[in-house]
Amino acid sequence: MAKGAAIEVRHLVKTYKGATTPAVNNISFAIEKGEIWGLLGPNGAGKTTTISILCGLLHQTSGEVLIHGFAHEKKRKEIKQLISMVPQDIALYPSLTATENLEYIGNMFGLKGKKLHDRISDCLSVFGLSEVASKRVETFSGGMKRRINLIAGILHEPSVVFLDEPTVGVDVQSRNMITGFLQDLNKKGTTIVYTSHLMEEAQNLCTHIAVIDYGTIIATGVPADLIQQHSCKNLEELFLKLTGRKLRD
Amino acid sequence: MLQLFATIRKEMLLLIRDRSGLAVMFLMPLALVTIMALIQDAPFRDYQELKIPLLLINKDDGDLGKKIEEGLITSKIFSVTRFTESEEQARKQVANGDFEIGIIIPEGASKKLDARVDQFVEKTMHDMGLEVQDSIVKDSVVTEATIPVFFAPDIKKSFKNSVISSIKHVSSRLETQTMLSAFKGALNEGETDTLTEELNEFIQFKELESDKTTSVHELNSVQHNVPAWTLFGMFFIVISLAGSMIKERTDGSYLRIRTMPGSYTVVMAGKVLSYLVICLSQCALMILAGIFLMPLLGLPQLVIGTNLIAIIAVALCSGLAATGYGVLVGTLFNTHQQSSTFGSVSVVILAALGGIWIPVYVMPEVIRGLAEFSPLYWGLNAFQTVFLSSGNLADIAIPSLKLILFFVFTFTIAYFVNKYKNN
Repeated sequence: MAKGAAIEVRHLVKTYKGATTPAVNNISFAIEKGEIWGLLGPNGAGKTTTISILCGLLHQTSGEVLIHGFAHEKKRKEIKQLISMVPQDIALYPSLTATENLEYIGNMFGLKGKKLHDRISDCLSVFGLSEVASKRVETFSGGMKRRINLIAGILHEPSVVFLDEPTVGVDVQSRNMITGFLQDLNKKGTTIVYTSHLMEEAQNLCTHIAVIDYGTIIATGVPADLIQQHSCKNLEELFLKLTGRKLRD
Repeated sequence: MLQLFATIRKEMLLLIRDRSGLAVMFLMPLALVTIMALIQDAPFRDYQELKIPLLLINKDDGDLGKKIEEGLITSKIFSVTRFTESEEQARKQVANGDFEIGIIIPEGASKKLDARVDQFVEKTMHDMGLEVQDSIVKDSVVTEATIPVFFAPDIKKSFKNSVISSIKHVSSRLETQTMLSAFKGALNEGETDTLTEELNEFIQFKELESDKTTSVHELNSVQHNVPAWTLFGMFFIVISLAGSMIKERTDGSYLRIRTMPGSYTVVMAGKVLSYLVICLSQCALMILAGIFLMPLLGLPQLVIGTNLIAIIAVALCSGLAATGYGVLVGTLFNTHQQSSTFGSVSVVILAALGGIWIPVYVMPEVIRGLAEFSPLYWGLNAFQTVFLSSGNLADIAIPSLKLILFFVFTFTIAYFVNKYKNN
């Protein structure tokens, strides 16, 4: 295992049942602790499959995945305490209040009592949701739902957070707030694995990126370095240069 | 344990907030219990107090006509209407279905019986070498008394046979008495009444319950419908439970749950226990309705026996079976439409087979055999053993065990299907 790696992936392959080609085809990479690592790629490139395997939601066909040195097959329980997934969908219970949702999630991670309530209170305050703590999530706006969805992912202070398009469908203010929070979280040592179709956001946020297409990583490195290497103006131009302009499903 | 309690709390909050879901889970079975008990009250009474309408033309002025008439009336099986019009008119009324049976005792039937008996007695005594003092019939030919019986066209053969045997029972007693009197008379003996009384019932029949648990209370509309529709309501939570599982999968909550600590078994156990609380609450509400509401509607009060622990045990086992089935349906199907359609139709079929709509004993033999495979039948059997026969835990052990095994079976299948789907 690479020194200081939060995640190490070796020769990862995933072929779905009945599929003729692998969704993820022999990829290897390492994510250092404290990085904001962006996994970028067009639709169907293999981003979600890769993230799902890293989170332990899918089993790989072959290859090895280590999270802080632990393999899912052997140390599933330990890995679950270390990681968190913030899905693209608002994975919360609409008829429960913000506090009730967060209490449930906190309890599932072993948090309880004053510690849990202080943590919920702090998070809601940071995200500007203290006043709606006792309101049902179904009454929230899209941006508020996105923020509470993110709180649910970081409540137990995980070492590694997987974020699947965390700012999709939110206004500029909420997006600015979320990206600012993620940078603060990263400064405190949390490793962030992030997927997005918003190239400008990724360029500003990520310390390292990997571009994946047809299940294979076609470029990886520091965004600024990659842009310079390929003589592009920005990450979006680089992305189109690497993946082409052909429409994807 | 914290994860289990957290899941139970979350599920209970979700259930309490779902007003329409609660209405379906509590008001629907309550309405069904009430409506079905009211509808089936009259048929249940009829079934128990059934008297077959019988039309009787008695033209005989002797003992035979009198005794048959008395026998039919005292049998408590028939509702006897004496008919004075023509035989043809009587046949027409039976053919129209106004009466199930028509019996005509012809004129002189008693005399014919007496003559026939006397002839038999004389012949018997002659064969035994005894001299008959006053020969009555001598060698004349005596025809037997024929009593025409006719039935409504839709009467089943088995029913005809049972009616004929009931009438034969009455007439054979009279034949015996007449024959004994004739023998006594021929032998110049005294009174025969005591002897005939003694001879009447050499063999006595005593009705016993087929089961070792003696039924204390009669099955009536309330005794049938309250446990029956309680079970139906309990199994109908399949729709709500499966729906909640599918919703969690489609809105991404289940994805989050899978990345959180806590095994599938713990998460599902929390769900099962929450819905089990609902099942027990449903059961308590229906029983209370049976005890307090039914009498207000003019129906019999629900009798729940004497063993409260046995009632709780049956409710627990039935609730477990229902939630296990809900978990399986929620795991097998991918959309709420699929699960609610399959869930409701399958529960209705299991209910029909299990004797929820009508008691299993009035069903055809083939369906009675299929009932053995319905968890609602096991639950209903167990409830009725406790309610009607004051059964204890030992008496309900077998149906309860079947219900628990059904839960284990469905939960295990759901576990493996879920595992397969996640890969």
